[in-house]
Amino acid sequence: MTDSTAPGQQVATPADARDDTLAIAPNPPRRALGLHRRLSRVWANDPGWWGHVTAVNHTTLGLRFMGTALVFFLVGGVLAMLIRAQLATHDGAFLDTELYNQIFTMHGSIMMFLFAIPMLEGLAIYLLPKLLGTRDMAFPRLTALGYWCYLFGGLIMLTALLFGVAPRDGWFMYTPLSGATYSPGINADVWLLGVTFVEISALCAAVEITVTILRQRAPGMKLTEMPLFAWYMLGTSVMMLVGFPPLILASVLLEIERAFDWPFFAVARGGDPLLWQHLFWLFGHPEVYIIFLPAAGVLSTLIPVLCRTQIMGYGAIVASVLALVFLSFGLWVHHMFTVGIPHMALAFFSAASLLVAVPTVVQVFAWIGTMWQGRPQLVLPMYHILGFFLTFVMGGLTGVMLAVVPFNWQAHDTAFVTAHLHYVLIGGFVFPMMAAAVWWMPQITGRERVRGLGEAAFWVILIGFHGTFFIMHLTGLLGMPRRIDVYPDNPEWVWLNLTSSIFGFVMTIGFGLFVLDMALQAFMGQKQRRDPWRAPTLDWAMPLPAPPYTFASIPAPQHLDLPAREVITILARGEGLLPGAPRDRRELLTTSLGTARPDHVALLPGNTALPLGLASAIGGFVLLMLAGLYALTLLPLVLVAMLIWRWGRGMVRPVDDAPIEVAPGLSLPLQGWRRRTLGWTGSVCLLVANGTLFASLVFGIGFLALVASEWPGPEARVTSAALPWVAIAALMPVLGALAQRRSDALQRRGGDGSAAAGLGVVANSVAVAALAVLALGHMDDPTQHARDALRGVLAGYVALHALIGAGMAGFAMDQFRRAEITARHAGLLPVWRLWQDYAAVTALVAALLAVGLGMSA
Amino acid sequence: MRGALVLMLPLVLAGCDSPLSTLTPAGPAARDIAGLWWVMLGGAAVLTLLVLVLLAMAFGPPRQVRARVWTHWLGLGLSFPVLGAMLAAGLWVGERVLPRDDGALQIKVHAVQWFWEFTAPSPDGPVTTRDRLILPAGEPVDLIITSSDVIHSFWVPQLGGKMDAIPGRENRLRLQADAPGRLAGQCAEFCGVGHAVMRFEVEVVEAGDWEEALRDAANDGDAEDD
Amino acid sequence: MRWLALSLVGPGIWAAGFVLVYALHGVGCARGWPAMGLAGALDLHAGALWAGWLVALGAGALLLLRLPRAKAEAGLPVWLPRVGAWIGLAATAFTLLPVALATSC
Repeated sequence: MTDSTAPGQQVATPADARDDTLAIAPNPPRRALGLHRRLSRVWANDPGWWGHVTAVNHTTLGLRFMGTALVFFLVGGVLAMLIRAQLATHDGAFLDTELYNQIFTMHGSIMMFLFAIPMLEGLAIYLLPKLLGTRDMAFPRLTALGYWCYLFGGLIMLTALLFGVAPRDGWFMYTPLSGATYSPGINADVWLLGVTFVEISALCAAVEITVTILRQRAPGMKLTEMPLFAWYMLGTSVMMLVGFPPLILASVLLEIERAFDWPFFAVARGGDPLLWQHLFWLFGHPEVYIIFLPAAGVLSTLIPVLCRTQIMGYGAIVASVLALVFLSFGLWVHHMFTVGIPHMALAFFSAASLLVAVPTVVQVFAWIGTMWQGRPQLVLPMYHILGFFLTFVMGGLTGVMLAVVPFNWQAHDTAFVTAHLHYVLIGGFVFPMMAAAVWWMPQITGRERVRGLGEAAFWVILIGFHGTFFIMHLTGLLGMPRRIDVYPDNPEWVWLNLTSSIFGFVMTIGFGLFVLDMALQAFMGQKQRRDPWRAPTLDWAMPLPAPPYTFASIPAPQHLDLPAREVITILARGEGLLPGAPRDRRELLTTSLGTARPDHVALLPGNTALPLGLASAIGGFVLLMLAGLYALTLLPLVLVAMLIWRWGRGMVRPVDDAPIEVAPGLSLPLQGWRRRTLGWTGSVCLLVANGTLFASLVFGIGFLALVASEWPGPEARVTSAALPWVAIAALMPVLGALAQRRSDALQRRGGDGSAAAGLGVVANSVAVAALAVLALGHMDDPTQHARDALRGVLAGYVALHALIGAGMAGFAMDQFRRAEITARHAGLLPVWRLWQDYAAVTALVAALLAVGLGMSA
Repeated sequence: MRGALVLMLPLVLAGCDSPLSTLTPAGPAARDIAGLWWVMLGGAAVLTLLVLVLLAMAFGPPRQVRARVWTHWLGLGLSFPVLGAMLAAGLWVGERVLPRDDGALQIKVHAVQWFWEFTAPSPDGPVTTRDRLILPAGEPVDLIITSSDVIHSFWVPQLGGKMDAIPGRENRLRLQADAPGRLAGQCAEFCGVGHAVMRFEVEVVEAGDWEEALRDAANDGDAEDD
Repeated sequence: MRWLALSLVGPGIWAAGFVLVYALHGVGCARGWPAMGLAGALDLHAGALWAGWLVALGAGALLLLRLPRAKAEAGLPVWLPRVGAWIGLAATAFTLLPVALATSC
């Protein structure tokens, strides 16, 4: 296929063969203790309990994500035990059906949204800055915001469970069962609003993981030479940017249908329940790979070190990640093989589902090959890795079987699928994560493991797991469907289920031992020496436990190939770039996207309670929506807008800063001088996600127009009198884009662009006003038919974007007035430009679609 | 592969008295799919074994290995033929069990929370039975599956795969039963609190006795009044 | 940046081709294309699907042929764009194979 030896050697390229223009002279060594004290003062969290509220540091928040995810894992595990207790006998009288339905729905939802995703986010947030040689994630306040959104969303769902009003329609919430008719009450709303709240944290994490990997690698760490974990996380975060928006859209549409009776999924009024399934699985299948890729990244990191060799086939693995990122978006219909789709369409997705196994197989053999070329050490992380191989290979093979259409027709929605997905998720995620926990616990706690208990936990989990789930394949093939609570007429399933239940409790004991082991290590372990695994990566080139600033100086190109334990002292003495914190503020180095040349010095915000405030305001909105007090939701929304403005003000940097000498002879400007700041790259990521959401909406419109049975709907009462207003709403954002360009031109010349920015405010506001006129006087009742509901959504989408555009224009105007925008400092202008251009394009497309949906003459 | 089959023997025996087992097929579609399963199981067992043996062999002194052998020959060379064969087999079986426009008997299946209505044509007009499907043996039957509330899924495991009943849609599923007897069916898609009890019985009668059986069912009062 | 974008072109061609053929399939089934003749035994539906598949394959092959001429970004190796092109072509060939094998509607 391609010359794989070349990439394999790239890892080992000696420093002197690197691009010689990137030779960076070392800074003179200083007293490590002095650097450490000052850096710690600048980067540490605030003291006391308030420090927990205001913390934005990635180490703190990464651990907090992982700790909270672990708690949710235990809750989800307890729910699983309730399920197993109920199913242990054929007429389980333990739970009533209603409660049982809530419990299995919450088990799935918690494990997916409140355990797996936050756990991998936490791992990435904790690890990436350390691995890439930088001091924090790109947007520390966003990290904190994500955490609070996750916590609050999770607590809302847990509280609902305590009060018996938890979601009960299965974790994929199929309509019409989850619609207002068949799920009255707030149960389904808890899921839709709670999960969407939590997804804010997923999007925050995806944006900053992408930006951190692309822009904050240590100088000289080319994309093609960065640690494989970063490649995996890059793939994961891009998939999150593209994968989550369809689900967010679906959740928003279903919530609107439930709350305001706009039909999107209701058949009688032009909706189609399959739209939900398409959007859900368009997220749901990539989700599986979003969970698997970080775990595979852990394996690719650990296996070579544990075998005292280098990874085999670096290039092949990167190619596998690339293939998985794309292919995993082409399989979603394999969850819908029984909905009555034509055979050829099923076959496309069957083929894609089979094909996606290829990159996975390549990785598995690259890992085993790595073990062959090295000398594997049978220590505890390796136990978990072997547990991964055994479990995941079997889960992968049943996955391939399920990709075969006729077999899927039989196995779909049975215990066979339950068994398969637990083999994949526990094999492909939990075992690698346990290996990761054992691996990085010394770094987190600075302590050694207590011997013995971890091995026992591993064996108990392994035996418990396979005892539970292996025979569950057979249970499914003997006809037991998912999600039933009793099976009085099927005595032949009893011994199978009883066995699963008994081993399920064994597995639970194992996880209990595992948690106990971690607690013992944290509180009773011996002090850990540095670099316990003799690892080559930068995450070990620091004292243990990891200090809040991670590196006293940023690694230079010549440090990247040295073993971690040699780099520790070099960096601690400030011989790398940007040593210490001489200006008493949080600084880090940004580099170019491909070859990681030093670009500028970014200033990061310090500790702040703003993320908590913003998350609370969003939480207020969610709670009012849940309570059905829709009119009152305007209050928290205004608060959200005000807090976002303050957030933006917090990004404004002084304009009189001189360039900073990061190394002898290498001076770099501050971020304010650059148009392409970290914030700019982050905005691009956000627009990618936003664009996916819009594309999903367009797909939804096309899907309903083509497939739904009740189309075309009743005669539209919209007339051509609406057209002028549509035109205004569509063209005003374009005028906003022109105003932005005028502001840009004036800024470059050092002129005052506040008037031009003001025009941007006006243009966007007029667009909103025109949409209001349309909504009040010219549009059909959106509850009448899906066509009218979709028009309403398009109008709302354009209005929201114009509103935000107006806010950005206003912010830029304010910056011109305060003289924060000068000839060299573009302020918010580049980001406004991205947003306004996007708003203009989507407004035009939305107008065409809205008109194209038809109107009466 | 034979080893795997022997290993699975007790499991097969356990499946024999199960009225909902996919492993004791009573019709051509279920039989084709069960055959597919046994072959895939054998293949999966061999591949799992291969990986485990390679893993076990890794524990030892370092070896000189070529990356290309692992990532290309094993990674690509092994997976593509296996997956290609599976795609072909799946398509072949899938095409065989697909409904054709050949004038086969059509029975309407309507799913409601939480029961099933089957409407079959008969000389005396359509006969509707509740939770009881009467099929002629040895003849292909097309089931026209609908729902008017939430999504359900029609499934008679011993006859073939399942098909969802979705509001706003008519789905068609072709099944054929080998011989007279009693089979069982159930709802396979979660549909609310009555999901577990949403079952029905399938009564397969000699093709010649089918209309008679329908008439009896109508007179039994099993049938709906309307 | 250019280099990274170039690496995404191959899989991107697959994604576009896959979506195109799937969409053509859906539209064709909804609009009754299989009943409309195109040329000889070929109906409109099969014709459209074959055309979509061949266009995607052609685009993938073209990318692979033209790639050596595209200038890589300084300092970054060419293997990733090339592997990307192969991934795209192989995926297009494999996942759209049912165009030739399966019953359409």
